[in-house]
Amino acid sequence: MKVVSFLFSALLAASSLVSAQEFHVGSTLPDFTLQQLNGSPAQFSSLKGPVTVVMFISVQCPVSNSYNERMNALYQDYSPKGVRFVAINANRTEPADAVAQHAREHNFQFAVYKDPDNAMADRFGASVTPETYVIDSRGMIRYHGSIDDSQNASRVNRNRLRLALDAVLAGQTPPQTETKAFGCTIKKVQKATP
Amino acid sequence: MTRRDCVLRVVSAFSAAELLGAASPLTPVDQAGFRELVTSHKGRILLVDFWATWCAPCREEMPKLVSLAGRYAKQVDLLTISCDEPEAAVKAAAFVDQNHALSPRFIRQAKDDDAFINSIDPKWSGALPALFVFDRNGRQAQSFIGETNMGQLEAAIKRLLNA
Repeated sequence: MKVVSFLFSALLAASSLVSAQEFHVGSTLPDFTLQQLNGSPAQFSSLKGPVTVVMFISVQCPVSNSYNERMNALYQDYSPKGVRFVAINANRTEPADAVAQHAREHNFQFAVYKDPDNAMADRFGASVTPETYVIDSRGMIRYHGSIDDSQNASRVNRNRLRLALDAVLAGQTPPQTETKAFGCTIKKVQKATP
Repeated sequence: MTRRDCVLRVVSAFSAAELLGAASPLTPVDQAGFRELVTSHKGRILLVDFWATWCAPCREEMPKLVSLAGRYAKQVDLLTISCDEPEAAVKAAAFVDQNHALSPRFIRQAKDDDAFINSIDPKWSGALPALFVFDRNGRQAQSFIGETNMGQLEAAIKRLLNA
């Protein structure tokens, strides 16, 4: 009986972390569709550049908001080098008009897209904001993780995303390919478990 | 460090602040400290709540967690670990005081959040709230990433108590 109970607990523990993640570092991305804030579809293939940064961000998450200026600085420093930035809001609780207003208020230089039903967040395995990915010219994910190692900009020791971008732009492997940080959960729609 | 040592050390450290009416300061914990905490609670069911003052769902669910753990207090312990930045430590301490979370209460103080998160559970992204349930042997039995379903949590506690 105890063995059955233990196995049941173990299965539950595993199931609580299961997601429909399809892409990992090293995966080559297929094309996919996002939604512009005016509701029109946008193909990822038309948005990406030689190197692309995908950033899952939020309107309300204080951690994501603490990175607004750093995200703008990244855009200013790396877009002249050919890096494209694709910001995605996958929160079901944050409608397109709120996302547009937030982008205007923070003077985002990069476009923000909605991810209806968090389909892309699920495929990327994104669960937190902010969470970023670097994709190379072949469409391969080369880095996944945090922008840097401190929510407080004055305490940053390691600019992880910048290090990854510098490496990929130089044709090298990033010093870290997967990193983590504390952040807000992406507020996803409930989906039936397969 | 035994659970009793842990409690005594923190209680003595807190007494001055409590006499002055200030919120009891949170105890810093790193990866090694966390493993010691889990080990020191062997023999009891342990709930570890990772939260932050900036996390609205964390703030909403803490009173429910305290209440639920309180109903099983004879066999279940609840530890709260704030993932706030150091400058929010006082605010975090005031919040756990206000919610009557049992002492000792903790704040993560890791040199590397990435390593800290991986040491708790490599599958955890760092998203908050996050609640980890440990069985009487100190083994992680279940986790709740994002808002905790209190019904599922209580069912997990009952299952572990009957195991």
